[in-house]
Formats: sequence, structure tokens, C-alpha cells
Amino acid sequence: MLYRLAGIRHTTYRSARQLFPIPFDRKLLGFVILLGVAAPFYLSPLHLNSYLLPWVIWTTAALGLNLLMGWAGQVHLGYAAVMAIGAYAAIHATRFGLPLEAALLVGGLASSVIGLAFGAAALRVKGLYLAVTTLAMQSIVDWTIVHVPAISGGSQATLQAPTLRLFGLPIETDAGRYWYALGLCAIVTVFLLNVSRTSFGRALVAVREKDFAAAIIGVSPFKFKLLAFWCSSFIGGVTGAILAFCYYRAITPEQFHLEVSIQVVAMVIVGGLGSVLGSYFGAGLVLLAPIFLNNWVASLASALNLSLQTDVLSQIPLVLYGGLIVGFLLFEPLGLAKIYDNVRNYFLVWPFRHAR
Amino acid sequence: MPLEPMTRTAVDVADPAAVPRTEAGQDAGTLISLLAANARTHGATVAMRERDRGVWREFTWSQMLQEVLAFAAWLDAQRFKPGEGLLVIGDNRPQLYFGMLSAAALRGLAAPVYPDTPPDDLTFYAGNSRARFALAEDQEKVDKLLELRNRSGLPEVIVYDDPRGLANYTQEGLYAWTEVAAIGAKRLQDEPGLRDDLIGRAKPSDVAVLLHSSGTTGKPKGVPLQHRRVIAAARNAQKADYFREGDELVAYLPMAWVGDFVFTVSAGIALRFTANIPERQETVLHNLREVAPTVYFASPRSWDAMLTHVQVGIAESTRFKRWLYYRFMPLAVRIETARIEGKAPSLTDRLLHGLGEALVYAPLRDHLGLSRAERAYTAGEAIGEDTFLFFRALGLNLKQFYGQTENCALTAAQKTGDVKLNTVGQPLPGVDIKIADDGEILLRADSVFDGYFNDDASSAKALANGWLHTGDAGYVQPDGHLVVLGRVGEVVHTKSGERYIPTYIENRLKFSQYVKDAAVIGDGRDYLASLMCIDMNAVGHWAEENGVTYTSYAELSQRPEVYALIEGVIRHVNSLLPPALAIRRFVNLPKEFDPDDGEVTRTRKLRRNVIDEHYAGVIAALYDGSTSVEHRARITYETGATGTLDRKLAIKDIEAA
Repeated sequence: MLYRLAGIRHTTYRSARQLFPIPFDRKLLGFVILLGVAAPFYLSPLHLNSYLLPWVIWTTAALGLNLLMGWAGQVHLGYAAVMAIGAYAAIHATRFGLPLEAALLVGGLASSVIGLAFGAAALRVKGLYLAVTTLAMQSIVDWTIVHVPAISGGSQATLQAPTLRLFGLPIETDAGRYWYALGLCAIVTVFLLNVSRTSFGRALVAVREKDFAAAIIGVSPFKFKLLAFWCSSFIGGVTGAILAFCYYRAITPEQFHLEVSIQVVAMVIVGGLGSVLGSYFGAGLVLLAPIFLNNWVASLASALNLSLQTDVLSQIPLVLYGGLIVGFLLFEPLGLAKIYDNVRNYFLVWPFRHAR
Repeated sequence: MPLEPMTRTAVDVADPAAVPRTEAGQDAGTLISLLAANARTHGATVAMRERDRGVWREFTWSQMLQEVLAFAAWLDAQRFKPGEGLLVIGDNRPQLYFGMLSAAALRGLAAPVYPDTPPDDLTFYAGNSRARFALAEDQEKVDKLLELRNRSGLPEVIVYDDPRGLANYTQEGLYAWTEVAAIGAKRLQDEPGLRDDLIGRAKPSDVAVLLHSSGTTGKPKGVPLQHRRVIAAARNAQKADYFREGDELVAYLPMAWVGDFVFTVSAGIALRFTANIPERQETVLHNLREVAPTVYFASPRSWDAMLTHVQVGIAESTRFKRWLYYRFMPLAVRIETARIEGKAPSLTDRLLHGLGEALVYAPLRDHLGLSRAERAYTAGEAIGEDTFLFFRALGLNLKQFYGQTENCALTAAQKTGDVKLNTVGQPLPGVDIKIADDGEILLRADSVFDGYFNDDASSAKALANGWLHTGDAGYVQPDGHLVVLGRVGEVVHTKSGERYIPTYIENRLKFSQYVKDAAVIGDGRDYLASLMCIDMNAVGHWAEENGVTYTSYAELSQRPEVYALIEGVIRHVNSLLPPALAIRRFVNLPKEFDPDDGEVTRTRKLRRNVIDEHYAGVIAALYDGSTSVEHRARITYETGATGTLDRKLAIKDIEAA
């Protein structure tokens, strides 16, 4: 109904492979981009800083992890540790006087080097064993950060992030920080959208489906598993630094504990493995659903005049939240992105049931 | 059905001496000179697109001219003489169109033939056009031509477009298009005057193409069409707003059919169309959506198939979408029916129609690839009322036209806003129509041909007194609309003297989606009977839904349930006919009528004498009261081999209601 496909033709294979060949998709995307960029003008500071900004940053993180889990099929339960390395490295780099852009690169490189070291384990172990290995990475990094004062300044210390700067110009407004994070998110999104149509992306998928089968068709699992860990960790490191500079603005070791890792994994799985759009949905649901559920349950309770105990009141949203995630995954095991895809297809083939 | 009383109105007969036909169009140029003009003024505009392995390959006007001249230069070097034939065989391909124009540039005879022509007919075509040269689409066609050469010695030189599978062919006189075009291009470069010489060599009164009329009776006849004739046809159509300059069109109809030459090549060059050629015949519908043409032509059969395609899709769609369709589609048909009768829809209807446009009509048009089709046409035979109304209701400006090979396909056409269900519209500008005393439609126009190829007797008969004798029976209504009933020679009488035209009844039977073909018999008999060929797709689908099991066409056709289904169709048609012309008995045939068996022409017109001969036993049984008959069907395969099929066929009576 909404989509118009007649008259879309391609004279080159390059144009046939474009990311958004359908005009309606392009219009929708343009509208969403406009909404995203203009958000500081119509959202209250609370919504911008507490809802939208973390959503954008965690989406970037989810995208980075999705590259590893969704495309290359390697489990990673220590992604928060990867982000922590990036955050600490970048902050220390700025303290050494490096400009912020260079500091972000340092953060990314630090994460990817250390991430790669642990990723190398993936060459030997698979599946659950890899999960445990990455879990070990989380613990080791946590422990190291807390116990090496040169990094964290001590277990109770808080490390203040310097002012965010773009090419040396200080950015001090909420809107500026939001746009900075949004810019990085856009870069990572474009990168991942393009991964799918490059030989790199196809090689990752081959490794995901069966690594020794990939080896037989000439795709080196050794090379591409390491590349996947490298790229994913780099994105994670930079995102960790952005999280520190734009959102927390001061970091402590607790911000990068195991539950954060699990949360990012949840974002990826709930959103949809191997889907760019899914990372947005997943991060949105995991991050925002608890907040909204809390607000709704509280306002509902007061509207209905229910005098519930505070601990019951605080448990209900959690129960609902858990139920929501299970519900979504039961309804569509392939994640929120697949649900969107189903809805899109419903309109794409309108008034028929399937493509004819 | 008895013929309607003839209203003999001579429509606007211009003075025949005003512009003698022999002089007409001498200043109109040739297809080649017009092509050269296009290349000069719009050199970078796309003239043709061909879908090749998933993407559209484009040819601009200057590229097209270059290819045409290069091939012409090579042909010229091979001593291709004026009046010599170039046999063109294959599905629509740019190079085949180019080759036809190259032959025309050298004053030769480009003779396109249907790709599935059996060897015997091919021998006739090759001999008739003295085709020393042939242009083939691919390996399959080359094989066909090589076999033809073994039988008849012609063609001596074969050029092929698609080299796939031909690498190891060592036969003499076999060349790839790219190879010869390169030689021709070099010659064009080396000889500076050659280019203009080739462009100017053909004259407007030279033959642009040699087509063969479908030949419902006897052997096909060669119909040479001159440049000025095909150009006049395109210009007439433009005056009637039938075509517009710069239209996008899909070139998918057989190249040997007059309509394809006039639309794609003649109007294509004269009015600078962009012709889009689908990847293969099987992908036409899919490619159609990518093209989204501004003008679209399809036979009534194709429109029917498209309607079935939509209906099957809706039947298996989701409940809500199906509900919407069944809510809004009948509404649109109702509004369209009223509009044709001249009644304006009410305000509520208009509002609901607007909603339906957003929810159903526009998405459907988009699915079919017809969202940009400002003008859609059908011709060749009568189109079913349901189909016609459906597509008009959908918002397509679907119109019927009428024409024949001898008049470059374009004689009369319905006008926007003046569409009637039973007429083919008014004569195009520049076409005079008159009804002869015996009811035959006569016409006169600059687009009328100049006589059959090597057949003076037929030519004199067809063009007696300066009018083209179409052989169609019809009449002109007081409002100027032309009604075509059928072939003059087809008017037959039952024993009791009732006059009717079998095709007229058959077409009404075929309006049912379940009937693919029908042959009505009754000449000199007591009552009418019919041979029915079910439509495998529609009846097969119906059988699936109704739990009727079958393994083959033959078995499905003999199921009692299917007999009951077809009986319902015939009863409906009987109710529209006078009681004396009701069909009393029928039989379902175990195979479709097939052009390879000679039962229908390539354009699917019945060959009654062949059918009478093939089904003599069945026809006898239809009139001796028996309830079944043993039948041995002859089947000719595309290779020319034959087989037989033995079946016991049931015969069913239909009592008068």
C-alpha cells in the first residue's frame, strides 16, 4: 500500500546493489534522520539526555557487538570490558594532551589489541567455550582496572572526563554532545550497512555458518575471525570512550561490569542478530522499556488508587520487562528487526500475501 | 447470433483523387532517414533498453544508428541486393530490430518470422522472400536455420546475436553479430561517403518489412509494407492521441506480428519511443513492473491472464486485504459501468472510490507495473466484458482498437471518454471506412499496403476499386462507432436457416476463465454443438480448491465435475443467445488446440477445416446422440515428430432451460 515499486530499474549492477532502492524506504529514512538530528529542538533536556543520548550510544555499542555475534557468529560476554578499555585509554590519552579525535583512536586501538588477544582464543574454542573465555576476559579486565591505580585511580576512584572537543573547539551543550554521539553512531551504521555487501561481510557470514566449510571454499577462518574481533573491539573501544565523554563524563569501574555486557548481548539478540535496524530496536527496548514501564506502573497505581508496597511496585516493572523480552522472542525468535520486516513485507506486497 | 441489421453509413468519404495514394507519403522520409534524424537531434537519448542478466542495457539513438549502419555496411559488402530477403528469427532483441532496419536501408526485405515456426512453414517463408541471409537470436534458432539450409539451400549466410553454445560450430557462412558489426564499422570508417549513402539509399516507397498474414485459410500471404505506409500509420495514431512522442513501451510481442513492427520500430522511430525489451518471454510480467511503460499493449488473452493472476493472488491473500479487495473492487466496477453508460457517480461513491484508490486500485496498478500507463490497449479479438471493465475500473485507460496487417494494424480505435463495450471505436484520423453491400468493412488510408508479395490475383481482389477489402463483417453505428462481428466468410447458417458467426459465440464462451478455446459447430446442422478446451491453469486451480484429483490435462478434462463446470459456462452463454442458436451438446477435448498441430494459427485463430478433419469422429458423435466417443488425437511436437493420444471422450447434452 505504501510502497511503489513500478519503474525501479537498474542499468548497472552497482545501482542494483544500492542500500535503499525503494523510494518509500528512502523517504522514511530521511524522515527518521531528520527527527534524530532535530531532536534537541523539540525534546526536553531530560528526554534528550536520559533517553535519546544513551539510546544512540548503546545502539553504537550494540552494532559493534552485532558485527561479531550477528555477522561472524562469535559469542562475546565481555563487551563491557572492551568498552572499558576504550574509555580508560581515551581519557588517559587526553590527559597526556592528545586531541580528542586521536584519543578516540587510541581508545579504539587499545580495545582492539586487547580484544584481539582474547579473540585469538576463538581460533581454538567455539560456542559455549568461547563464551566462557570471553567471560574470563570480563573478569580479568575488571580486576585489572580496579587493582591498577594507574588506570582507575583506585577502586573507589572516579575519573573525570575532560571536555568534549571537536577539532579543538570545546562542546559544552547537551545538544552538542548528543550530535557528537549521533555522528559516531551514523558512521558505524553506514559501515555495518555496507559490510553486508562487501566480500568482508560475506566472508564473515561464511565463517558464521560453518568455519571449516568456509575454509574449504577458500575463506580463511583464522583471518576473518581475528578481523571480526579486531573491528568489533575497535568499535566497542571508541563507543566506550564516547560513553565516557558524552554521557557519564566521569567513569568508575562499576560502569563496565558483567551485567552491562549481558545487557549489550540482550540488545543484540532481542533486536535481531545480523541486523543493523535490530540493534536500534534492541538498544531501545532494553534501555528504555524499564524506564517507561516504571513510569506507567507508577502512574497507573496512583490513578487506580492502589496502595501497593514500594517493593512490590518496584518489582512489577521488572516482571513486565522480563515478560516483554520473552514475549517478543517467543513471538518472533529472530528479533524485533524481523517483526519490523514482517510488517514491512505486509505492506510491500499489499494487496497480496506474498511477492508475486 | 444473427447479424444485426447493417447501417450502411459511408463515413466521411474524402475525395479519393485529392491526394493520389501512389504519391502519398513520398516526402515523409524513410525509417532510416528518421532514425538518422533522431540520432542527430537526440543522439544521447535512450532508444532501446534490453534486460540482460538482471540489468538494463541501453542503446542511445546514435548507438542504434551506428549498429544499423555497421550491419548494413557489412551486408552491402556481402552483396546483399535490393529485393533480397533477410530472414529474422528469434524473440525480441535489439540486434534483430537493428538487422531489420539494416536490410530496409539496403532496400532489401526484412522478413521476421515467429520463433516457433515449424520447419515446413519456415521453408515457405525463406523461399517466398528469397532469403539468402538470415539473422538468428541464438543457438536454437541457428540449428533451425541450418536444418532449413539442408532442406532448401537457403539461407546461405546466418548471423547470430547470442554466441552462447556456438563456439564449436564450423559450418560455413556462420557469423556472430559482434564480428560482422565490427567489420561493417571499419568499412564505415574507411569509406567516408558510405554513411550518407546508406542513410539515403532507401526511398519512402521501398519495402520496410515483409510480414506474413496469419492465414486463417490456406497458406500465409506475404504482406510487404512500405516505409511511407508504416510511417503514415504511426502519424495517424499520433493524431488520435493513441501514441505520444517519447512514450515508454515494452517490446515483447512477437516480432513477426505487424503490431510489434508498427509500434516498436515504426512509431518507435517516428515518435522517438524508448522500447524496453524483457529478459525472456517468461519474465515479461516481472520486467513490466521495472519498466512501468507509459503506453502498453496486450492481447485480450494477456489481459485475461493478468486478471486471473490478480484473482488468484487475492484468493490466497490475508483476510483483511481480501476483505478490502472484495469491498472496493465491485464498487469500482459498478462506478465504471455507470460511467460508460454516461451516469456520474454519487458523492458517497466518489468518496469511497477515493479511499479504494489508496487502498486497492493504486497498489494493484503498481504491482502490475501499469501505474504510469496513461494509455493501455487491446486488439486482435473481442475482449471479455468482465476483463475490460475490471481494468478500466482499476483506473487504467484501457481501450480497444481494430486493424489488420494490410493496414499496418491501425484502423479504428476507441477514444478516451468515448468507450463502448461492443464497438472498436471510431476510425483513426486519415482512415476512411465504408461498409460494402454484403456487410464487409472496406477502408482507405495512406497506411494501407500496396498489394501482396508475388500474388497479383489476391492483391487485385484485396484492393479492388481503391478500397482495402478487410474480409471482416461489421457495421457502423449512427454515432460513428464501428462494430466488428467476425469474418465475412465465417457467416454460416444452420439447417433451419439461422445466421450466425461461430467466432462471435466462441469469444463469448472464452470470456470464461475456465475456457481456453472453443469451436462451435453447426453449419447445416439441426442445432449447435461445441468442442471445448479447458484452461489448464484456471480449471486446475478450481480442481485443487474443490478436491477434484487429476494427473494430466486429458484426465482433468474428462472429470464429471469439470463437465458440470463447463456446462454452467455454456448455459450462461446460451442465455445471452436466441434459443435457436443455443449450444445443445458439447465435448471436452483431451488436449488444447495447438499451432504445431495446425489447429490454430500462431496468433491462436481457429483453423476450422483442420479442426473439422482432426475431430471428424467426435463431431459425428455430437450429432448422433451417443454419450461418448473414442478419439485418437494426433500430436505434433515442436521438433516435427508426431504422436497419438487415445481417449474416450464423454459427450454432454444441455437441455433447453
